[in-house]
Amino acid sequence: MKALAALGIDVGSSTCKIVGVDESGELIWHLLEQADPRAEDQVQRFLKAAEQKFGPLKAVPFVATGYGRKLVKDAAKNITEISCHAKGVYHELQKPGTLVDIGGQDSKVIVIGAGGRVVDFAMNDKCAAGTGRFLENTAGRLHVPLEALGKTALSADREETISSTCTVFAESEIISLVAHGVAVEPILKGLHRSLVSRIVAMIRSVGLVSPLMLSGGVARNEAMRKLLEEETGEKVHLPQYPQLMGAYGAALIGLKNG
Amino acid sequence: MIDLPSRKKVIREFQKKGGKIAAVLPIRYPRELFRAFGFLPVEVWGPPHADVTLGGSHLQSYTCDIVRNAVSFLLSGGLDRTDLILVPHTCDSLQGMGSVLLDFVHPKQKVLTLYHPRGVRKADFDFLTEELKRLCGELSDWTGGEPPPGAFWEAIYREETADRALARLYRDRELLGLSDREFYRIVRSREFLPAEDFIENEKKLARREKRSTSGVPILLSGIVPEPMDLFDEIETMGARVVADDLACGTRRLYKSGHSEDPFVRMAERLFSAPPDPTRGSPISERADHLKNLIRKSGAKGVLIYDVKFCEPELFDVPLLRKKLEAEGTPVNYVEFEMGKILSQQTLTRIEAFIEMIG
Ligand code: SF4
Repeated sequence: MKALAALGIDVGSSTCKIVGVDESGELIWHLLEQADPRAEDQVQRFLKAAEQKFGPLKAVPFVATGYGRKLVKDAAKNITEISCHAKGVYHELQKPGTLVDIGGQDSKVIVIGAGGRVVDFAMNDKCAAGTGRFLENTAGRLHVPLEALGKTALSADREETISSTCTVFAESEIISLVAHGVAVEPILKGLHRSLVSRIVAMIRSVGLVSPLMLSGGVARNEAMRKLLEEETGEKVHLPQYPQLMGAYGAALIGLKNG
Repeated sequence: MIDLPSRKKVIREFQKKGGKIAAVLPIRYPRELFRAFGFLPVEVWGPPHADVTLGGSHLQSYTCDIVRNAVSFLLSGGLDRTDLILVPHTCDSLQGMGSVLLDFVHPKQKVLTLYHPRGVRKADFDFLTEELKRLCGELSDWTGGEPPPGAFWEAIYREETADRALARLYRDRELLGLSDREFYRIVRSREFLPAEDFIENEKKLARREKRSTSGVPILLSGIVPEPMDLFDEIETMGARVVADDLACGTRRLYKSGHSEDPFVRMAERLFSAPPDPTRGSPISERADHLKNLIRKSGAKGVLIYDVKFCEPELFDVPLLRKKLEAEGTPVNYVEFEMGKILSQQTLTRIEAFIEMIG
């Protein structure tokens, strides 16, 4: 077993992740769970698990990120998810570019420069439209399992336009389409398109620097990847663990700062 | 450290001495004119603790919080101790507020308006001078008299002295040994303290060694830094404000006038302020002004901290940003809603920006 050199935790709004890296910065261990409303308890559970696996953590640098980062009292440092995602993705993909991170409750576009430095960023954290919650809501409404959402959307041979930019209104629009007998697939494809178009507007606001990279829970959704490629004309690059990039970046920052 | 009284206390004391209170909405107005008539102008920058549903019933949902909170504050009795309300036509929202008060709310206080020109041409200057005369006439009609002889000039000189004291505070900010929060509490006391008290306070502030330069230096731009906890947060994030382009800050660094005509002199003073979107200043002028502030202060980035739905500010942001970024200055735009606490999202954006430029 490789020795643990640093730990990073990402206390997000939907999920909580912890990542361990070795001396070379390689991701050697992780845990991912749905976010517990009692974040402190969850963090303690994660740390205990790390201790069981690697032994005492006293000398191991530990950095927290995510919206609940300030609740992690044991962390030596807390850094925003913007900086951590940039660091994590840069280290994994080894190139500067534009990162789109679509999380449960917010989405962000980060222009990453040399060494994983943040050059610029845009964030949508005010409105559920443009976030994973937008898709989750609809998946629930249409009784499509979240994991099957992308595939189902891509199987459509046509697309319904969802014109509402608000999650709540989009939901009523969808209900109305279903009531008119429209099949689920084209509705889902239109829904993904509407989410992607909001993300593309954010990309434009900071300026796209190739390549385009995607992280966050929604990166696992193949329709998002495909439509993002269609809308931007760029190939989308994915890290191996898109959901862990924040925690990974935090661990790398811990590793660097000792 | 200076012990600053609350707005309420200042109002009480001024009234005890027989003075009257004018509640004044942002941003520009002739303080000296009100003082000459025996009023203390006390500014209302959207108090954060008002029940906003009260104002909401009179205003469109896209009205900024400064106006919404001010109307709510008025309707909840927050301005009951004031004698008149001045609504300068700084922007469409305030213009709307003026009409709502005059046509629908009919508060017990006298409501006066002040139209501002949107430019700096000779015609704009003349217009403002005429407006100041009109305002003076209305004050005179309503109070039933003229200021006592000499009171006008006395008030003008006093306000000019206070503005010079404010300029000195900015010049010496690094020598005052104050945190950003303390510094801006003093700067913002100009919103309600009588000029003579402000002048005395400035004299009491000792100049010391230059403050240690730890912290990422930033320039803060926008209307008003509310809540003031913002400064503590910025400090905790490892940054400090070294310069500002705030409507309640340096955008009101008025110079002394020259004219022997009091109305022309007041107009000269109001016209002497730095470029400001609510005055219709061209973007190039604003950008040059900000570049100058950045160069002098050593700021590594500009944080534009704007009240949600503030149109004059919002219109300028994209171009201003472009111009500053083209010169290598990173800019971050954050919108806030005026409430009691700063949202986690707002803080994350600011913190990420500080990490980015640090
Ligand atoms: S915040 Fe902006 S829109 Fe509101 S009153 Fe001030 S200048 Fe007008």
